[in-house]
Amino acid sequence: MSPSEQAVAAGELPLSQDEAEHAAGAILDIAGADGVEVVVAASRSGVTRFANSQIIQNTVRSELRAYVRIAVGQKLASATTNQLDAAHMQKAANQALEAARASREDPDFPGLPEAREFGSAPALMRYDALTAVATPAQRADAVAAILRATEGASAAGVFETSSHAYALLSSTGMRCYDAFTRGVMTCLADNGDATGWGEDSSHALADVDYEEGARRALDKAQEGRGAIDMDPGTYRVVLEPPAVAMLIDYLSYAGFGAKQVLEGESFLEALAGQQVADPAVTIADDVAYPGSVGIGFDFEGVPRRRVAVIDKGVATGPVSDTRTARKLGGATTGHFSGSDEFGPYAGNVVLEAGDRSDEELLGSVDDGLLVTRFHYVNVLDRPETLLTGMTRDGTFRIRKGERAEPVHNFRFTQSVLKALASVEGIGRDLRAFAPEFGSFGSTVAPSLAVGEFRFTSRTSH
Amino acid sequence: MDDLLNEALDAATASGASYADARGVDIDAESLTVKGPRVEALDRSSSVGFGVRVVVDGAWGFAASPRLDRDEASRVALTAVEVARASATANTNLVELVPEPAHRATWSTPVDIDPFEVPTEKKVALLASAAEEMEKVPGVRFGRGSMDLLKQRTWFVSSEGSDIDQTIVHTGTGIDAVAVSEGDLQQRSFPGSFRGHFEAGGYEIVEGLELVENSQRTAEEAVALLQAPECPSTSTTLVLDGHQVMLQVHESVGHPTELDRILGMEAAFAGTSFVGIGDLGHLRYGSELVNITSDATVEGGLGTYAYDDEGVAAQRVNLVTDGILTGFQTSRETAAAIGADRSNGTMRAEGWENFALIRMPNINLLPGEGSFEDLLADVDEGIYMATNKSWSIDDKRKNFQFGCEIAWEIKNGRIGRMLKNPRYTGITPVFWGSCDQVAGPEEWKVWGTPNCGKGQPGQTMRVGHGTSPARFRNVSTGFAQ
Repeated sequence: MSPSEQAVAAGELPLSQDEAEHAAGAILDIAGADGVEVVVAASRSGVTRFANSQIIQNTVRSELRAYVRIAVGQKLASATTNQLDAAHMQKAANQALEAARASREDPDFPGLPEAREFGSAPALMRYDALTAVATPAQRADAVAAILRATEGASAAGVFETSSHAYALLSSTGMRCYDAFTRGVMTCLADNGDATGWGEDSSHALADVDYEEGARRALDKAQEGRGAIDMDPGTYRVVLEPPAVAMLIDYLSYAGFGAKQVLEGESFLEALAGQQVADPAVTIADDVAYPGSVGIGFDFEGVPRRRVAVIDKGVATGPVSDTRTARKLGGATTGHFSGSDEFGPYAGNVVLEAGDRSDEELLGSVDDGLLVTRFHYVNVLDRPETLLTGMTRDGTFRIRKGERAEPVHNFRFTQSVLKALASVEGIGRDLRAFAPEFGSFGSTVAPSLAVGEFRFTSRTSH
Repeated sequence: MDDLLNEALDAATASGASYADARGVDIDAESLTVKGPRVEALDRSSSVGFGVRVVVDGAWGFAASPRLDRDEASRVALTAVEVARASATANTNLVELVPEPAHRATWSTPVDIDPFEVPTEKKVALLASAAEEMEKVPGVRFGRGSMDLLKQRTWFVSSEGSDIDQTIVHTGTGIDAVAVSEGDLQQRSFPGSFRGHFEAGGYEIVEGLELVENSQRTAEEAVALLQAPECPSTSTTLVLDGHQVMLQVHESVGHPTELDRILGMEAAFAGTSFVGIGDLGHLRYGSELVNITSDATVEGGLGTYAYDDEGVAAQRVNLVTDGILTGFQTSRETAAAIGADRSNGTMRAEGWENFALIRMPNINLLPGEGSFEDLLADVDEGIYMATNKSWSIDDKRKNFQFGCEIAWEIKNGRIGRMLKNPRYTGITPVFWGSCDQVAGPEEWKVWGTPNCGKGQPGQTMRVGHGTSPARFRNVSTGFAQ
């Protein structure tokens, strides 16, 4: 038995390399295709969801997907199935082949990547067996501990454990396999007058300090009692890591990909090579960074390189795949998202740490606001990196370098790049975040002190 | 599938489940994107599997698998029971469900032309023709066309005797043009943004939309927006087209009236609601012209079905009547929590692998009177905004800021010059309170949005909204300060 087969047999991994190779092997040489690529993704997850200090939804599920991409000359199409038996794989391959034949020549298709050019991506294996085999009872025990830690308030959130495996095989010789696990806790504490927030995540469940996260949520809620109105306007702010993570996630979504550059959507089209942020700011996509969770190859099997999209404040990206790299005249960075429509994607964004403690960041602000996290952020203007969203779960006035009275929530309308250009300090402690949607990727972020941040309206809570 | 699901039910009840349901789902989908003459994405996908939901010791458990054999059905059912037992260890409240008669039924979306039987070449040719037409307009960076097809068969059986077999078919298509100049990017879409117009039905929907005929105008508007002045920050009369009213209804009426949100069950993720249980029958949600229903029976909606995903028959419910809050969207569990007699049938799950949640079916703003021109006629000075572009709303669904692709000034009852980057902001009940006309049935249309996110693990749901253009007074546009 191979190591991954042993792990599958032990109930740890949802898919072995051998299973993926067996499923894909049957169709890699399908007649009529000039290139075949198969990505097999499998996961097993348990999500225990609580609200009103009760477990309200509790789910365990196994998922499986085989993505078959077929080229006929310069024509390309794909088909997906969630059954790995030979008949379903053959059906998916036939569907993709038939669709490719019905499609049109694509002069920009560079062909499937060749193993002789890209080699074999090393597996990162951000994988922890104890996390993979966590039981419903373990998750319920963790939630019970969270509820004890938030006694006196109404608690809501999730406790989640999952394992994920990805394999890629192609008729051009690409062979990749990687796996990761993830433990996630979130907790909102509501004391009837204010809410507070805590969260933690890691590839290893043992590193998820869920009781501390719950206490943080409760403390924030207690300190938030008696919030008052404050006028919207432009303020100096200290953004805690959950708020920073959301901003840089949306910055990545708005413009870190090479397709967005080619289509004029990204700030990188106009600003590449220019100073766009404070020189202390470096934002990279780096799946190998401590705290990042993901796999070491992209969805065409190319090793994922670290890309500093903003390096010491200078716009230097974007991330690319073989198609967009050829159009831009460079080499792929290994960031194909699996969709030519969406293009390459930076899914493991890291804002590198600075040298300030949280107290020093707060102490640097004479008059301003402390933001715990944001809610319902959306992009208003991609080239401008203009976002809007709300604060929630702990917004406070800062007076003379100290956290002062809680205030009601604001709507912000702010260019992320302009905020990064006015950064006055970066925290030295990094926190890792699971993605808000889906299971792929992660974000690593510190706290930030920002000189100018624009709040355009407020609400009554 | 029926045998497998019944095997799961038997295993669950034999292991102590006081209630169990099992849902099998088989999905076929096709997605096509054409950019100019080139096919950018062409994907066929299928997904089949089943999920088992149980109540044991008064708590919920759920497990799901794509493996379709009877041993797996039993294993998954026992896992669901194990999960429920674990839930019960942390809980003090017991799950209670309002009664629902057992249903044995088969139902399908009416379809004239099976969209999966239409040759791919024909679909590509249509979209490419429209996209190429758009790219002929000087200044257009690219033109794009998309088509999305879905066929989903769902089997539902419950320990109470329901046995339901439903098939829904959804078809969506649209075009958009993008123009870029000096860091400014403008986009126009037809007939709606975010991959177009979606409806329940077959390829006849595509054939009725006249994509090619509307491509040149769409592209010309994208280019013209680059030169248009910015929409001003002011307080003015606002007229919204039906597409934007769809988004307004979705975010500021649909979500706040979901009873799980009101009861705090979504507090940590999507948020709660400014609406309280005690507001029913009292809260002034909008002006007397505002009448809004939750209606899973309306023809053509993405939220049209015969039974929801816990086997409750589709219904039409008045959420807002003459401006007063008169209803919530409920499930069997949440209906019990507020002492209601029956769920109004809004529980749905994405695919086979998810636990059903309260999801909007079709949330409809009922038509008022008059044409679109009548809406404009009473406006000396105002702004007309069209086609949703962006949205953001707070965790209680009160403070919102929404953006559209395009706007025009209104002067003395007539459309004037074009404005770009239009946005408006407001507070939900104040905004709906300022509604002084909803256009009539001749302007009313059921729109579809296929990308409503909710829940953890995240689920994407397809929901419908019947709307007509509407007028609102004293609205803040631009960035209110």
